[in-house]
Amino acid sequence: MIFLFIALPLVVAGILPLIGKISPRLLPDILANAVFAALLAIALFAGPSLIGQGAGLQPFMFLGEPLGIHLALDGFSLFMLAAISLVGLCIGLFSVDYMEHYGHKAAYYALLLIMFAGMNGLVLVTDFFQIYLFLEVAAIASYALVAYGLGHEELEASFKYLMLSAVSSAFIVISVTLLFGLTGSLDFGAVSQALRGLNQPLASGVCAALFIMGFGLKAALIPFHAWLPDAHPSAPAPISAALSGLLIKVSGIYALTRIFLKVFGLTPALSNILMILGAVSMVVAAFLALGQKDIKRMLAYSSISQVGYIVLGIGLGTPLGILGGLFHLLNHALAKSLLFLNSGSIQMAAGTRNLEEMNGLSKKMPVTAATTLVGSLSIAGVPPLNGFWSKLIIVVALVQAKRFGFALAAILASVLTLWYYLIIQRRAFFNKPDEKWRDVREAPFLMTTATVVLALLCIVIGIFFTATISTWIEPARDALAGGLQVIQSSIGIQ
Amino acid sequence: MTPQTLLIPILLPAGLAVVFFLIPSRVKLVREVLAVLGASALLYLGFVFFSVRNLSWKTPWLGRGIDFDLRLYHFSAFILLGLTGFLFLITLYSTVKMRNTPRLREYYGYVFLTAAMANGAVLSNNFVPLIFFWGGGLLTLYGLITIGGQTSHRTAVKSLMLGGFCDFSMILGIGILWAKTGTLTLSEISVKPEGVLAAAFILMMIGAIGKAGAMPFHTWIPDAAVDAPVSVMAFIPAALEKLLGIYLLARIALDFFHLEKNGAMAITLMIIGAATIVLAVFMALIQKDFKRLLSYHAVSQVGYMILGIGTAIPIGIAGGIFHMINHAMYKSGLFLSAGSVEHRTGTTDLRKLGGLSREMPLTAFGFAVCALAISGVWPLNGFVSKEMVFHGALETGYIIFAIAAWAGAVLTFASFLKAGHSVFLGPRSQDVPRVKESQGPVVLPILILAALCILFGVYNKLPLQTFITPILDGHAAPGEHLDFTSHALSVFNPVALISIGCLILALLLHIYGWRRGGKKAHLASEPVHTFPGLKQIYDLAEARIFDIYEQGIRFLRSLSLVLFKGIDRPIDAVYDKGVTAVGRAFTRLFQSAHNGHYANYLAWCLGGLLVLVGVIGWFVGF
Repeated sequence: MIFLFIALPLVVAGILPLIGKISPRLLPDILANAVFAALLAIALFAGPSLIGQGAGLQPFMFLGEPLGIHLALDGFSLFMLAAISLVGLCIGLFSVDYMEHYGHKAAYYALLLIMFAGMNGLVLVTDFFQIYLFLEVAAIASYALVAYGLGHEELEASFKYLMLSAVSSAFIVISVTLLFGLTGSLDFGAVSQALRGLNQPLASGVCAALFIMGFGLKAALIPFHAWLPDAHPSAPAPISAALSGLLIKVSGIYALTRIFLKVFGLTPALSNILMILGAVSMVVAAFLALGQKDIKRMLAYSSISQVGYIVLGIGLGTPLGILGGLFHLLNHALAKSLLFLNSGSIQMAAGTRNLEEMNGLSKKMPVTAATTLVGSLSIAGVPPLNGFWSKLIIVVALVQAKRFGFALAAILASVLTLWYYLIIQRRAFFNKPDEKWRDVREAPFLMTTATVVLALLCIVIGIFFTATISTWIEPARDALAGGLQVIQSSIGIQ
Repeated sequence: MTPQTLLIPILLPAGLAVVFFLIPSRVKLVREVLAVLGASALLYLGFVFFSVRNLSWKTPWLGRGIDFDLRLYHFSAFILLGLTGFLFLITLYSTVKMRNTPRLREYYGYVFLTAAMANGAVLSNNFVPLIFFWGGGLLTLYGLITIGGQTSHRTAVKSLMLGGFCDFSMILGIGILWAKTGTLTLSEISVKPEGVLAAAFILMMIGAIGKAGAMPFHTWIPDAAVDAPVSVMAFIPAALEKLLGIYLLARIALDFFHLEKNGAMAITLMIIGAATIVLAVFMALIQKDFKRLLSYHAVSQVGYMILGIGTAIPIGIAGGIFHMINHAMYKSGLFLSAGSVEHRTGTTDLRKLGGLSREMPLTAFGFAVCALAISGVWPLNGFVSKEMVFHGALETGYIIFAIAAWAGAVLTFASFLKAGHSVFLGPRSQDVPRVKESQGPVVLPILILAALCILFGVYNKLPLQTFITPILDGHAAPGEHLDFTSHALSVFNPVALISIGCLILALLLHIYGWRRGGKKAHLASEPVHTFPGLKQIYDLAEARIFDIYEQGIRFLRSLSLVLFKGIDRPIDAVYDKGVTAVGRAFTRLFQSAHNGHYANYLAWCLGGLLVLVGVIGWFVGF
């Protein structure tokens, strides 16, 4: 069952180009969305019982020989899988109409599914090499997807993304190699055990630094963020949503969290480093977002800023902090995907991404305007939407841990966030409609469906936030915190 | 009878209200039939409950002594009977008068919801459900007033604010009482109003008399008389709120606190009562609008009830409560007859009306009986209850209160002579076309109320012995004689003679004013209106100088202006100039670092890595 999360999208991605020859549009649309829907259904309905059975490790059997790929599903992985499939389904629905004018839908869906297979794999694997493997699977698909429009801007952005990402991949490989040399193993559990007995603080410290840099670049933490504001806006809107909503979280935050909470153990030093990186990203990116005129660039900077929140919460390392960080991860995935999708709707309808050229679109595009408002307020942390509760939990956790400076920074960043989201609202939607928008129409049905679903989720999770936390976030937190207590005081850098 | 039946007077009208909200507004007949049937069922239930009298039902609700506790006993059964009776009459009346109201769904819904709230408030034996129902009535009143039309919104807000203030006071008072006695159950509380409990008494009293519409919380009533539908006026301020407010005041004065004769609290009540009588009746006298004139009397008459209860003497208290039910009947009847006139002629302006008695004889008759009753003319019910209040007031030894009450009686009669004369007598006005008598469902409630006014006066033994005297059981000193019927209608005693003298004085005043005004009845009050000294006060009152709501709003407006100019704007300037500029400076600074060069970004990454290694190395001690 777990195996399906990787195999299903990969297999479908494999046959899609062939199907594309027969039916260039309809079948790829249906097939890709069916994959997302099936994965979501498995994650939501079968997922919890798969953990409950304790069937954690599932080795591949090939011709009677066990292959060395181990997949494990715990609360954290399941939470990520659910979020990935949910956002994936919305992106798939949105793509049906949106990708119409890009052409080659079959190839597009194939790449998209490969990227999702890579992300699903990344959250299920149990050793360092496979992390690297699936990281690259997802990354290579995403390079192609960023360049999908094949314009000058897209190619440049994709190239910049590829170059910086390759650097980070190289550092991750170096770190994995070092770690293998130190411990003689690549499996998370074995490495963790070995590190505990090892007295090589500098070597393991260098490994940690390389991992922070490598995965920090994937997560776009400042100062490793520079590729993101080019790459994310250039991609087609659903891809921007997938990159900002999911990829940076899976290949960046998930990997960082898994490695530092389950393998290395979160020492005070690491905790401080992560929190400082998070806080700097949070505040600096918020200021940068403020100065943007391109709506997608503003959203991209906002992603950096919000990733800062997540890292700040998880880096704090207290149960409440991790809880808030993970909850914010989910909320940001929903709201930011929603906003990127809406930016796509606007671009399709009005033909511009420049905030200064938009004016009074809310009359012409009421659904888009309303859902954008929900997404904006959610990320800005306005009650009773979901983003408010996760930010509140993070701030409360910081105050409980007596990290008042960080708490203040978090509040300051949230004020800035509200500021630039209000700029979007005012410039794009409010005011009198411009004369030139006379022929603008609301986005097609499936596109608005996707955004309305996401907006409703933002509202519903905001209202029933306790239920969401207890069914999805707490198991994820417990899966992390269980390991945390064992490891915390024993190994690695002091 | 099972105790759960106590829920019916609350749930039945509430359920009907939901039905009325759901039925589409086109469906009129079904709605009206359902409303009349529901109201008759409730009235029947009122009679059944009055015959049962002792029933209580209780279920835990919110914990901490907050139970959903309902108790039916003599007093609440009596009030319940009154409430259901008025609901029935008003519903009957509305079937014709309100037929073409645009918001018919809401009208019936709110009326029945109001009834549910009022019944609940009367039956509650715990303060928390009491407050719930009490406040709920405020909201439905708001809804009902807004049905009146475009300008009624302001008045509705006014009623909500004033009512909210009074309810807030009452909640504060209840809070003090709870803290001091430790219980929220009405039937368990019995304290002396001393020290902090005196404050509780005053606060709760404000809640009660505010509901009843005493000065100075009355100012929404005259406005609503013009804005709200007349049936709403006849139902709520004229009948229902008097019943509720005076019920609670009597409970406060008799049960929760022991009001001592001529104690500080009793004197306070009497002062409020006397002031309300005199001031409101002065305002009533000069009104040019039929409904507005009636509404000021709805305020003025509350004064008699408060004065009666404030005497803390059995005959005074009994008189106050008796006056409550009498007033509800004749004032409701008066509003309904004003509504009947409005229904046919389309106006209630006294200057435009005249000589309608031939065309609307039944309405005129109903009006005449009710008007004579409110003026206290022998042998109608108003005479009996007012006499009792006069006796009580005199027995306290403070003659001033009795004089105030008599002064009120003079002006009351004078103003009703003016109103009746203007509308029904005199030459037929040319401003309104020829009209017919109103339909049965409009006239019938007026005649029923008029008949009750006669019955309760002539055969005053019936209401006094069945309704009023048992309320005082256990409150009067042992051996004190509680038969108020023996001299109720006797004329040959000093008090009654003075009262009758007052009426004659009023008649003379009216004739004088009528002659002075060139035989125009609506000018009969001008001699009082233009009396030196009084005129200036009237002008101020007409300009709403004495309206605490208007003054409060004016005060808050200026306060908010001062705060806005003095505090908000300076802070805003700091924000506008300071915060924005700092934010933009940071943005520019960070933006200038992003020059788009790959080498630059790669350098950041490598620099970051070196710093990380350095920091971690420093931590581990290398």
